[in-house]
This record gives sequence, structure tokens and C-alpha cells, in this order.
Amino acid sequence: MTVTTTDPTTRSAAGAPVTSTPETSAGIALQGVTKSFGKTEVLKGIDLHLKPGKVYGLLGANGVGKTTLMSVICNHTFRSSGRITIDGEEPAENARILERTCFVHEDQRWHDDYLVDHILRALPHFYRDWQPDLAERLLSRFSIPRKTPLKKLSRGQRSAFAVCISLASRAEYTFLDEPYLGLDPTSRNIFYEELMREVAERPRTILMSTHLIDEAANLMEEVVLMRRGRIELHADVDEVTSSMTAIRGIDEAVDGFTAPYDVVSSQSLGRIHSVLVKGALAPDERARAEALHLSVEKPGLQEIVAALGILDHAVAQNLPQNSEVSEAGVTS
Amino acid sequence: MTPPAPRSDRPIFLELADRIADDILSGAYPPGSQVPSTTELSVHYRINPATAGKALNRLVDHAVLEKRRGLGMFVTADGPEVLRTQRQGELLDSYVAPLLAEARRLGMTTADVVALLQSHPGAAAATSPTHTTTAPAEASS
Repeated sequence: MTVTTTDPTTRSAAGAPVTSTPETSAGIALQGVTKSFGKTEVLKGIDLHLKPGKVYGLLGANGVGKTTLMSVICNHTFRSSGRITIDGEEPAENARILERTCFVHEDQRWHDDYLVDHILRALPHFYRDWQPDLAERLLSRFSIPRKTPLKKLSRGQRSAFAVCISLASRAEYTFLDEPYLGLDPTSRNIFYEELMREVAERPRTILMSTHLIDEAANLMEEVVLMRRGRIELHADVDEVTSSMTAIRGIDEAVDGFTAPYDVVSSQSLGRIHSVLVKGALAPDERARAEALHLSVEKPGLQEIVAALGILDHAVAQNLPQNSEVSEAGVTS
Repeated sequence: MTPPAPRSDRPIFLELADRIADDILSGAYPPGSQVPSTTELSVHYRINPATAGKALNRLVDHAVLEKRRGLGMFVTADGPEVLRTQRQGELLDSYVAPLLAEARRLGMTTADVVALLQSHPGAAAATSPTHTTTAPAEASS
């Protein structure tokens, strides 16, 4: 299939084959990728490069396009425009590339009467690097019954089964869409452990969407934060957390101090005001804050994403043409 | 209320390097012994292998650990000594300065703090010279 780049902001020469050196064509590259469902444009021009062998966290409020993005990369959903390459090749209709990608959808449908065993027997045909032993081990760690029809599995068991498939696929490009849904804390820990074991022993690219940000922050090397169909931010976890500063203290002192700053969010508890501002504080500013008895801290990743999500929700509410906001903020 | 987010001003690889250093100082990993691998640390703490690798490499840079090709990471002969010297240098900034700042907030003088330190049960234990340690001596080093 041919796809033309219609987004004028992408500067790639029209129709040119893979532009770049082997170094930049390795991994997943998106240029000006858009996706519309009817009149709703879910992806509004995505430029993104995912390097081989890294774990990426895909973050953002509900409805910003995270699942659509993963789906479009794996060609489970056709993009409307833009360019996607995996290791320099167009993934659409490209079995050689697609057998190295794995994306089990969060609401994956199976044939109602299939048992776990049936799926396990079919999967080696789809994944070049399928690991039967790993699949066995994961199924038993998650206590997934083998002879149970898939439709009888609980939400948590279905998630655990999806995790088993994703990890045992050994796909170089593995997509995990809120893989923890319904998993209890013990199972989540097993999942995080096994995920880390896999990427440590055999580096592969993982793109994982999650709302349990604090829990998953240490698993990620880089975060990709989406807002309203675009990539808002793509950086190292540490870079993101140092991109903002949390300031807390008595309300007038905080308000006075933060007046010249770009305030992202603010919360009050009695007379105590907690504010998140953009940027890091210069040493003299830090000293000035301390003189005012303000506490200055580096915010957590979740705090930053939640603050930006609140902006997202506020904007969505003001602009009714945007798709509905389906869930209250992750903070309160 | 927002749930308390982990708020450390220090990156995780530094926290992890410190934790391994603590274990070396306590004698859990004596000179010449092997410390956990990147994979083991990564799985155990559920952190990205790149982070675990950065922590180990930091200790290699400080000559506390050494790489033995194909085998793993081992504590150097004077690894504990390097750490002790380093930590003693940091004692002032890490512990004494915050202690004095808190004492000032509470209206205490430096003399009050000294008296407090001397009256603490732990003070007697610390009168022996710092270079004798409880770490089991490693004959092979």
C-alpha cells in the first residue's frame, strides 16, 4: 500500500525512500502520522522515533490516542496519512516486519470456545521468536488455567494471559496497552519482574501505556507523553522530572514567589499552597525560596503527568468539538 | 489529596549505587566477592536494566567495583576503604548541616547539639576508631 505524506510540517522529501542512515532507520520511526475516525482526528501529526532495545512509557489522559498510536504502528488500524517505518521498512502488509511485532489488545477478542492451550498452540506460527518454555513458566507464575475457555477467564487472568503472550513472543517490538488491568499487586509485581528479566537478558523495544505511573516509572527509560492526539513530550524520565519544580508553603509566599513563573497546576490545603511550575530553579532562586520558608522539590513523574492531564481535561471541556472526557482526573 | 509521590531529588541510579555501597560497607559483600548482576538488580528492584547498569558503573568509576570479563562485578580490595573515605567527606553536608539547621529552627545552640550527641546511647559505641570495622576479613584480598 502506498501512503503519501500530506502533513506540510514533515520535511521529508515527498516520496523519497528511507531518508536516513542505518542508525536512524533502526527502530520505529513515525513522520506526520495522522488517524481520523470519521470526523474525529485522533492522531494529529505524530513524529516519533523509538530506538531499538529501550523501554518506553506511553503516558497521557484517557482518549488522547495512545491505543490508536500503537494500533497504527502495528498496522492493526490503517493510518490516514504520514509515514511509518520499522527498521527502515514499511510495516503494512509486511509479514517479515510484523512477525517481529506483538500487540495484544487490551480488549482482545478470541473465539469463545477456545482454551488457553489452543491459543498457545497457534501462536508459534505468528511469532518467529516464540518461546514455549517462557510461556509455560509465565502461565504457571500467573496461575492461568490451561483447560479453561478463554471467555471464562477473569479480567485479571485475561490481562495476565496477554502479558504471557507479549513476553513469550520475544517480539523485538512489543506493545503493551495498560497491561495491568485487573491484575492484583502480586501479579503486577510478577509482570514487572518478568518484563525486566526479559529486557535485561535480551534487549527489545517495549512501548507500554500505563496510568499507574509511579509504579511503572522505574521500568521505563524514556517517556512519551501524549496530549490531544499529539506528542507533548518525549524525553528521559529524569529529564521530565527535572523539567518542573514543586513549590510548597504559605499561600501568599508561594503566590508571590511563583508570580514570574509559568504555573502548571496548583492545589491548596488550608493556608498551604502547592504549586507546580515549569523549569528548574536557579541556585539563587532556590535560596530565595528557602529564605521565604518555601519547600522546593523535584516532582514525581505521576505528579507532572497528572498536572498536564488536568490541563487536557480543562481544554477538552472548553472545546466541545473534542471527544468526550470519559474519566475524572487521576488526581483530586 | 494527591497520594504522596516518591520525591527524591536524586536519580534512582544514585539511590541504587548507595544501597549497594551500604551493603559493601556492612560487609555483606567483602572485597573480592561478587555483587548482583545488572539483570538480578533489575529484576529484584523492578527497575530498567539501564538504570541498574548505571549504578554498577558508577561504583566501577569510583574503583569500588571491578569488571571481570565474562564473570561479573566484584568488590575491589580497597573498595570498602574508598567508600568510607568518601562517606566521611559527605558526613558534613549530608548529616551535620541538616542537623544544625533543624536545631536552629528549634531554638537550640550548637552547644545544645553537642550535649545531645554526647548523651545519646550511640555516642559511646562510636568512640572506637572508625577504621576498625565489623566486616568479616577476607583472607584472599
